[in-house]
Amino acid sequence: MQDRSIIHLNVTDFAVAVERLQDSSLKRIPLIVAPEQAARALVYDMSEEAYGDGVRKGMRLDRARRYCRRAQILMPRPRLYRRAMSALVAQVIHYTPLVEQGKEDGHLFMDVTGTHRLFGPAPDIAWRLRKQVQKELGLDPVWSLASNKLVSKVASRMVRPLGEYIVGAGEESEFLAPLPLSMLPGLSHEELGLLQDFNLERIGQLAQLSREQLAVPFRKRGEYLYEASRGQDRIPVLPGGTGTGQVCREYHFEDDTAERSEVQGVLTSLVHELGRQLRQEGKVGQRVGVRLSYSDGRRSVRQATEAGGTDNDFLLRQLALTALDRAWQRRVRIRSCVLICDRLLPRSRQQTLFVLNSPQEQQQEKMVAAMDTVCARFGSGTIRLGTAV
Amino acid sequence: MLNVPEQKRRVMEVQDDLCPVLIGTSGYSYTEWVDSGFYPQGTRAPEMLSLYASSFPIVELNYTWYQMIRAEAISRMIAKAPDSFLFAAKLTRTLTHERDRDWRQELKLYREGIKPLQQQLAAILIQLPPDFDWTRNNRCYLAHLLDGLQGFPLAVEFRHISWARDSVFAELEQRRVTLVTVDAPSLPGLFPCLDIVTNPSLFFVRFHGRNHQGWQSGNMQKKFDYSYSAEELEEWNNRYLSSLRSKATQGVIFFNNHVRAQAPRDAALLREILHQE
Repeated sequence: MQDRSIIHLNVTDFAVAVERLQDSSLKRIPLIVAPEQAARALVYDMSEEAYGDGVRKGMRLDRARRYCRRAQILMPRPRLYRRAMSALVAQVIHYTPLVEQGKEDGHLFMDVTGTHRLFGPAPDIAWRLRKQVQKELGLDPVWSLASNKLVSKVASRMVRPLGEYIVGAGEESEFLAPLPLSMLPGLSHEELGLLQDFNLERIGQLAQLSREQLAVPFRKRGEYLYEASRGQDRIPVLPGGTGTGQVCREYHFEDDTAERSEVQGVLTSLVHELGRQLRQEGKVGQRVGVRLSYSDGRRSVRQATEAGGTDNDFLLRQLALTALDRAWQRRVRIRSCVLICDRLLPRSRQQTLFVLNSPQEQQQEKMVAAMDTVCARFGSGTIRLGTAV
Repeated sequence: MLNVPEQKRRVMEVQDDLCPVLIGTSGYSYTEWVDSGFYPQGTRAPEMLSLYASSFPIVELNYTWYQMIRAEAISRMIAKAPDSFLFAAKLTRTLTHERDRDWRQELKLYREGIKPLQQQLAAILIQLPPDFDWTRNNRCYLAHLLDGLQGFPLAVEFRHISWARDSVFAELEQRRVTLVTVDAPSLPGLFPCLDIVTNPSLFFVRFHGRNHQGWQSGNMQKKFDYSYSAEELEEWNNRYLSSLRSKATQGVIFFNNHVRAQAPRDAALLREILHQE
């Protein structure tokens, strides 16, 4: 099998970079992007200088201000960042149709495997792209090249905020081995903590464990740890970006909460929004995940799956509440929650030959369709299930 | 002379009355060389260097131009080649073409990164961009660069014609720095092809191909898409190479026309021509 050539382009501190493009007087000032007027504002993005002072994404603004008193605060302008992201994608799309982009975060993956006859070797494509983006957009992305998304992402992390990194095919595990475990994407705080309990600090140490050994403490996640620690990642670059790979909704509580009914109500509202989007896009989701952010900064993610996939609010809600029960294992208040639906499939338009749904399911489908009609006419949120209140 | 066990560079080295010459290509890791038949079908990137080393005794590393050379990556690469195999390494672009970062820091990183290669290093290639002309600032910068890389075998490739002057050659000679001889399309403003040897220990030749149209296209696949004929190489040998070989004690030649594996084909052809002499 041919080695893949995956380029990861990353404009670091994307929101700040875009704001500085709009107003060059901001170039030498430490910046924090956050909704200042919000009751409990969280940092959306920050400049390298503010990062150096200890400011982090998702941190409470009042705390961030204490860390970096000289910083200027800017209101987030997601629409502007989305436009900049589209402009970035427009620069790279000529090289390959396989471009996967983040939402508005300055990240994108490109699979340039097999384009060498047209555009030359992959490092040359990456270098030219950076030059092109610098010239056309005034942004200066970090670039990395590797045989998969996981390794190229880690390579970018190694050189940010400025630089480039090429990891040769076949060198993935050697490249990762000396790095700290925190550099491995996708590990939760709990997993990192557990690995530290086992006295594991480097990715190479993790890679020495067998599948069976990893399955004992990590169960199904052991498989991911086994492959990731060896630099193996078979997930393809998904054209169109995470937008086609998953849909998600986020909610920040005004005050941290430990009320289960409140969180359940919020999730039900999010399910409505998310389910409606799925139905509009003609998709069904096979997995629903809930990510909770606790008030102490820790996070927890759990999922529930439905093999055939669904776009029905009732079933989606059931999956979301199951995921919530699995995720909420600590007696700590919740700051925010994210509802994620992924493993998306196109909804089959063909009717089943025999009616397999129960009368209750048929009734629910009719109800969801009626709610969609109301929302389409009078706006989203005009009608919702009683459990969402 | 190059710091390599002499007996190990046998078959692939051209040696007659004139000085010995090592012939190789600029870069070795090209997927299209599999499609073009230089590497066997199914060859993966990690296997390429050892296969390449069975055909050529030396390679010019291109990727070190794209990214800062790193000791750990270099060590892994060296391990795949025989001890007798030699490398020429391009200086990173942040020291030649894009000098907007702190070049002293970059130079420090480069010196650190190239350390594992020292025993098998034929030369560091300082390829300067076409807009790097003979100005006071550029002369000072180049002098600082050569000072900073002291202790390494160095070769300088100019692309701007303004450097073709005796004072430049004299300075290189005094520093024992090799002036790179280039074969490229004869375009106005380009540094000419010269048989001047500024370092008797090493001459350094690069064949870029003669694709006039492709040269300024900005696309590598067009720029280096050229196949030399046996007549062209024979003529080049008579006109330049014999002269270079009579003035130095060792020479290295690289073919940069990598498109469709024309570089290894032409390198083998030139070797054959020299063997037949």
